[in-house]
Amino acid sequence: MGVTESLGAVVKAFPQARLVAFADLSSRMILSSAGTLRTTQEHLDLLCNQARACFDDPLFSLSVEAFGEPHGAVVMGSDSVRLFLRSESEPADALCCICDHSIDLAAFVEKIRETLEGITHGG
Amino acid sequence: MNKSTLPIVARLQSLQTAARFAPGKERVIADARDRNPLAQLLREANETMLGRSLRFSSEGGPSLTLDVAGRRVLRLSAAIGLAGAEACLNAETLEDENKDDLIKLLQAVAVPRHELRVTSGPIGRGGEGVSVGLPVALLADLLLIELNEDAADDEETAEVVHEAVQEIPDDGIELTGDLLARFTQQLGDTLVASIIVDGDNDGQTSGPEEMVSHLQGFLSDERESLDRQLDLVAAEPGGPICILLGATLVEGHSLVCARSGGAILLGVIEGDGTKVVLLAWNRALR
Repeated sequence: MGVTESLGAVVKAFPQARLVAFADLSSRMILSSAGTLRTTQEHLDLLCNQARACFDDPLFSLSVEAFGEPHGAVVMGSDSVRLFLRSESEPADALCCICDHSIDLAAFVEKIRETLEGITHGG
Repeated sequence: MNKSTLPIVARLQSLQTAARFAPGKERVIADARDRNPLAQLLREANETMLGRSLRFSSEGGPSLTLDVAGRRVLRLSAAIGLAGAEACLNAETLEDENKDDLIKLLQAVAVPRHELRVTSGPIGRGGEGVSVGLPVALLADLLLIELNEDAADDEETAEVVHEAVQEIPDDGIELTGDLLARFTQQLGDTLVASIIVDGDNDGQTSGPEEMVSHLQGFLSDERESLDRQLDLVAAEPGGPICILLGATLVEGHSLVCARSGGAILLGVIEGDGTKVVLLAWNRALR
């Protein structure tokens, strides 16, 4: 299954996921995305930058010092939930998601983790 | 293909995307297995916001070049091996009266089960900021083509939709205090250590002294840079926001950091944070 199909499968399985995007954090590029949320390139760039910001200092250093390198971040605002997961084997590979507050986050994280590893390892 | 393109191509290939390059800097957007290359053609045009000249060529021989900008087809600048292209070629900008002719040309170049390639170049006669031409969405409607690939995939076998509308049950706890205080109440025992600084609950702590002291020291040293980090993900500078950050989020420990009204909560979550943090945040927001 290619990247596009993998992302499409996620939004089919979780309609509350309004955008699921595969990013290369090192080059700040969203390489592929799926979902019902209408986005411009500026939105995608912003999402990618937010992912980088989550895995940056000072919280990054605190996490590394206390519990090890973080690979997952959930950002909750008043209007949406964003999930950013980095691959453990290829930390530049990440999935960036915008979801409704009603999403089953535990199940979604599991699905996203599985999808990300599948993409990273070409599965 | 120049050197700077190679890593990107290698990357796309490793990702197993549909992108494939042919000699002459052409990109293959539909192959012999594709039943609807016309959909791919329109999607290419629809994804072109800044003015570009897109040359579509079929392995059967015909090709056409469209000037495209802002999800609109501005004009037909070239047509090779295609009959009936004169009216569109002569139009300074394509208008409603050209749409039927244009559709016939598009159908002639995007033949089912024939490879279709595209090359992109600078637009010929300017196109920035124009509001003329034919909207790609209009052409797609007339051709009954879904521009959103995900919606178009519906005919394929879909996974069972995960009905995850998560109710927020009333657990009977009466929430008191500001947002951060309500949030910590909702997190309960999952929050093994925490500290709130500033705001009405300034100095409120929970958990082992050693952990609290560590969190307190961090906030003393990094408060300003932490605010800057939170601003990068908040809807507005200083706005309410909460981040859960962890190695896996589902096991071990994760950090939770929330901000509301100038106050900051920093804490440690034990175990599966995904099961409690969003629910707690949603309840605290009510």
